[in-house]
Amino acid sequence: MSIEKIVSADNQNVSIAIEDRFDFSLHQKFRESYADCDTNGTTFTLKLDKTSYMDSSALGMILLLKDHADKISGKVIINKPNETVNKILEIAQFHRLLTIEL
Amino acid sequence: MNAMVENPDAKLALVVDDSEMQCMILKNLLMEEGYRVLTGNDGARGVALYIEHLPDLVLMDINMPVMDGYEAAKRIKSLSPNSLAPLIFITSMDSDQAFVDSIEAGGDGILTRPFSPEVFKAKIKSIQRISNLYSQVKNLQQEQQQDAELAEQIMSGVIEARNFALDRIGIIKQAAALFSGDIQLTALCPGGNVNVLLGDFTGHGLRSSIGAIPLAETFRVMTKKGFSLLEIIEQINRQLYELLPVDLFCCVCCVSISSHERSAYVFNAGLPDTYIFNHEGKIKHKITSNHIPLGVMPNLLPQAQLQVFSVASNDRVVLISDGILEARNHQGEMYGTRRFEFAAKQGFYHGDIPGKVFDAVDEFCQGRPQEDDLSLIDIPCHGWEQAPAPDEAAQSIAISEMHDLYLESEPSWKWQLKLTGQRLALVNPVPMAMGQIQEIEGNGEHWNNMYSILTELYVNALDHGILRLNSDLKNSAAGFAHYFMVRESRLKNLSSGMIDISLSYHPLQSGGKMIITIADDGAGFDLAAFYEHRLKLKQADKVMLCGRGIDLVHQLCEKLEYLDGGNKVQATYVWAK
Repeated sequence: MSIEKIVSADNQNVSIAIEDRFDFSLHQKFRESYADCDTNGTTFTLKLDKTSYMDSSALGMILLLKDHADKISGKVIINKPNETVNKILEIAQFHRLLTIEL
Repeated sequence: MNAMVENPDAKLALVVDDSEMQCMILKNLLMEEGYRVLTGNDGARGVALYIEHLPDLVLMDINMPVMDGYEAAKRIKSLSPNSLAPLIFITSMDSDQAFVDSIEAGGDGILTRPFSPEVFKAKIKSIQRISNLYSQVKNLQQEQQQDAELAEQIMSGVIEARNFALDRIGIIKQAAALFSGDIQLTALCPGGNVNVLLGDFTGHGLRSSIGAIPLAETFRVMTKKGFSLLEIIEQINRQLYELLPVDLFCCVCCVSISSHERSAYVFNAGLPDTYIFNHEGKIKHKITSNHIPLGVMPNLLPQAQLQVFSVASNDRVVLISDGILEARNHQGEMYGTRRFEFAAKQGFYHGDIPGKVFDAVDEFCQGRPQEDDLSLIDIPCHGWEQAPAPDEAAQSIAISEMHDLYLESEPSWKWQLKLTGQRLALVNPVPMAMGQIQEIEGNGEHWNNMYSILTELYVNALDHGILRLNSDLKNSAAGFAHYFMVRESRLKNLSSGMIDISLSYHPLQSGGKMIITIADDGAGFDLAAFYEHRLKLKQADKVMLCGRGIDLVHQLCEKLEYLDGGNKVQATYVWAK
């Protein structure tokens, strides 16, 4: 379980990659990964291609990220979730809230 | 054994050493650090003192007569495996083996002689720091455990204990070690339908149950007042959105079953597929979530609506939480949909879906502790109708009052509401009318009949008078579901039309009389043809889906009249106290 964060030179693009299980144990780390990114209009790309499983508290954490992005007129993109993770996003109908790139 | 008594709050240390001299030295050092001190001169005595006084710290020599330090340490640690008191060996055996043996005997540290008083005090401080941390963690863990127990008790004892028809609806919940926020509710609608809700709050323990009380209250009160399922869900969503922090929400599936309409209304917001099984245990429908969980958005999505399914009386609706599908075994495999469907089918044949599914999940997990709550609700599709029994007591109202009944006396109060155009699509006047009645006249069983009459007459005026829906639609293959869809789309585009509802209440000596008048500005209908058509169907002994509502109203009311070419209906309902 790990979180890797890459910030573009102009601070406009933040990519957060999550490996293995995305669940409550990452709560603190996940929050810290975006808390100081407050450039107006930042796009947060949540890379889930290496995420094997996600629980409902992870959905809550994504909502917190979205809330943060909304406050700085930014947006959140979910990138390449695997089939299991996408199923969880689908059941929660998250594509109605943010962009999901398959 | 000479405990200091100056400060009873000071920590208590036990020194076990066969040398009186060593005991004295250690005792003095410890007292300088603020400890009360007990001493013993052999292992056996040390164990006895430990049992009697439960000290906060133990210092133990290794080589002693009667019982050596290793044996004494093992006994002390086995007496209280979760004890917070650290045990340190004090020895002059400066070998690796002594160190290994000390730890193996249960020691938390070793101090080799000779040592300076400073080193001794530093060692005691460091070990005490770890011990304090351990006890803090232990306390926090206990608090969390208490919170989780409280959360579970609130859910099951306070909220779910008030559920309706538990003899007919199969409900099973198995809470995870750390309670995880599943909630199961059932309530009776005034017209006889049953509303069921399965919810799964995010989070664990007490955190996951803060939304449960308002959710349960809203669900019960609004169901009882006769609000539609979608109105209830809208209100719950708004409430949870206002109440819960951003990352807390509730995945919910709500079902309303009407035996009378032979339909199941389903709203799935974030739970796994809901199932409808037919009389052979085959899957008839899988109803996939089509809405964001409740509490995420301030309002429901604009296109949010109930899904309607025609159900036969032997069908069963089964709701599950994701805890079942995601239960894992030791290999990390998940239970999954395929296994669930198989177990549910087996359960269907044995007449016990919840029991079979839970046994199967249990067997699959091979004793691996559950990570999430497991919930299942199994609802039969028959038996949800109000017996259309007219108020027996009303019929036996004293003859002396009969003239009262028909006397055109002034009502003691009147209530009226006129709705036009889009408001007809947005407002449900029935709960409002019921609210008025109960506010003025108090609660009572007979208001259930009143609710049925109002609902039937209002829905008739809206569906047939304003929306021009043909009841024959309900007899088509898709049945009520199709009817409902056409109704929804016409409602959405409604821009004109008017319905006027008025109630007048006349108190009687031992009861009361309510005159309900509902008028619409629709096309009306041919009364004579209507009665003739119904008579024909009745003679042909056809089971009618439509028109049963009006039969019910006929039975409940003293008098039912259509006026103004079918544009106006007047019902007189009488009850006895």
